[in-house]
Amino acid sequence: MLIGGGALVALAALGFLVAASGVISTKASTGHWRITEWFLQFSKQRSVSTYSLGLEVPPLDDGSLILKGALHYEFGCRSCHGAPGAPPSRVANTMLPPPPDLGAAVPKSNPKRLFHIVKHGVKFTGMPAFPSQKRDDEVWAVVAFLMKLPGLTETGYQNLVASEPRTAEAGQLPAGDTFASLNRSCQQCHGTDGLGRGEQIPSLAGQRPHYLANALAAYVLGRRHSGIMQPVAASLDETTIRRLVAHYAQLPASPRAPVRTVDPAILEKGRRIAHHGIRERRVPACVECHDPSGRRSNPAYPSLTGQSAAYLVGQLELFTANRRGGSSYEHLMQPIAARLDPDEMQAVARYFESRETASSALENP
Amino acid sequence: MSGKRFIECPVIVFAVALVLAGCTGPQSSLDPAGREAERIAGLFWWMAGGAVVVWALVVWLAWSAMHGRVSRHTERQARLYVIGGGVLFPTLVLAGLLAYGLGMMPALLEPAPPGSLKISVSGEQWWWRVRYHTADGGEVELANEIRLPVGEPASFELESPDVIHSFWIPSLAGKMDMIPGRRTRLVLHPTRTGTFRGQCAEFCGDSHALMAFPVVVMEKDAFAAWLTAQRAPAATPQADAGPEARRVNRGRDAFLEHGCSACHTVRGTLARGAIGPDLTHVGGRLTLGAGILPNDHPSFVRWIAETDRVKPGVLMPHYRMLPSGEHDALAAYLESLQ
Repeated sequence: MLIGGGALVALAALGFLVAASGVISTKASTGHWRITEWFLQFSKQRSVSTYSLGLEVPPLDDGSLILKGALHYEFGCRSCHGAPGAPPSRVANTMLPPPPDLGAAVPKSNPKRLFHIVKHGVKFTGMPAFPSQKRDDEVWAVVAFLMKLPGLTETGYQNLVASEPRTAEAGQLPAGDTFASLNRSCQQCHGTDGLGRGEQIPSLAGQRPHYLANALAAYVLGRRHSGIMQPVAASLDETTIRRLVAHYAQLPASPRAPVRTVDPAILEKGRRIAHHGIRERRVPACVECHDPSGRRSNPAYPSLTGQSAAYLVGQLELFTANRRGGSSYEHLMQPIAARLDPDEMQAVARYFESRETASSALENP
Repeated sequence: MSGKRFIECPVIVFAVALVLAGCTGPQSSLDPAGREAERIAGLFWWMAGGAVVVWALVVWLAWSAMHGRVSRHTERQARLYVIGGGVLFPTLVLAGLLAYGLGMMPALLEPAPPGSLKISVSGEQWWWRVRYHTADGGEVELANEIRLPVGEPASFELESPDVIHSFWIPSLAGKMDMIPGRRTRLVLHPTRTGTFRGQCAEFCGDSHALMAFPVVVMEKDAFAAWLTAQRAPAATPQADAGPEARRVNRGRDAFLEHGCSACHTVRGTLARGAIGPDLTHVGGRLTLGAGILPNDHPSFVRWIAETDRVKPGVLMPHYRMLPSGEHDALAAYLESLQ
């Protein structure tokens, strides 16, 4: 017993001395021993399986969710993992382990495992955690896209992520301008017309500049949570923010085409909530702060008319779960959102989506 | 020995005076200002007197048991003591008390005569929604303050939309619970003018202790004038004259811009929210925040900016984040709502 204990201590001391001598190689250039590599892979597989057991997978087939995931993939994942028709960069290939080819890896995985890896990253590899741990909805968007990735052709991928064909004159800025090149990364998702690509991405066209500036500042300060927006906003300085919000505020806020047909009963329910609130549950009328004319309310309160219903419902859900964050006005909305049930959120979001937008271009930024 | 007693005497007198001084004040059931409170105070004094007699009796018995002459009791005598003192005496005393107490009930529960003043009060976490029903069938909604004419019965309908509260103005009457889903009734007969204090008397959440209200009993004419003034909408905007008027006008706009109107009504303006207290004449009330702050400019500013700290758990969000100057303007506007 005593001898066994002594041997263990001696072994540990020997191991420490070997590490202290510096002869163990941490070179990425020479790779792992076979057995080390097997062990690391094995323990990673086991860990991901175990930790992803209890997850519930939301519906992932929604086209706008896949689009949102694809756009984030293009911005955040492609440089290491490559994309259909575009191999990963040579730099990424010299990482240890090299980032897996997802076209081959995804079919062997499943949504729960992918969610766990995208959200938390993987130790001893180059895979980082998702920049916001509060936005599972964004992680699921990436997973939704990943599930489609193996079957995607080069053109299919390009159709998803490439900026819209620039037919609209509205979003054009002089070429060569550094601001214009910066704005292109906004346009990638929010569109050259600023109306937002797909239902998951909010329209910025005609939005109130004060609100937009507050939102970007909150992303920069980490007060508003998003694994997608926080890294993008991190590089913005005050002057750029001012120029960007002024640009989007003056874009015409035309309603999205095609406007879906919604059950009039749902719209009526939404209209009642928006204009009268739900008194017995202490839900105030939305329009008291989100004034559709935009003339009467605090400039920090966003305009909601013409905004995508899916985005609005997503925001109400984030408020309810206390995961949205935001500017110093954020706490006004949290308790109100929490008093709405899912049907009421849908109804009121559909109502605002269907509203003709009163352009705030009349307002001075 | 006698010298020591001589010193103790004024100390005891002072202590008793100090304790009795606590019996008066705006929130004391021992200093009644209403018919119901007088009856309850009467019951209290009878009970207190009886308790003193019983206490003296018990102490005398204990004293004589320890120091009295030791003689053998017969079994009959002992049984008389046990049954007489332990069963008969308490039964008689408590039955008498019960009869006295029950005898008071019909008068306390008697509805007010038709045509008397009718007031609905809703206890809400943590304030009071007050509605006066006027003779012509109209209704005036106020908050956190009740005024009554002296010498006239006032009939209250009590309710609650959230949890159980209890409506208690100790100087005027006993308490009555406000129970979600039902309507309880209470009749008050104030007998003298004065300013009293009501308080929620059923634990109802974080800020239960901060749910109070002033009660003013006034002469009949003064009351009628007050109710007429409360019924009127808020005064129309002043012409943009001096800096003070400008501040008030800025406050009026700010009230709508920041969305105060989503929850509060100021009659005569676009503010028609019904979730929080009606503020039409808030500047003329005796207190702010349901009986917890004096009604002055710093208190308005504090309430707007530090709502969550002044009243923990309150539904109203704080507005610390408003640009500088806005709190001041809002406070000036609210003060002007006399």
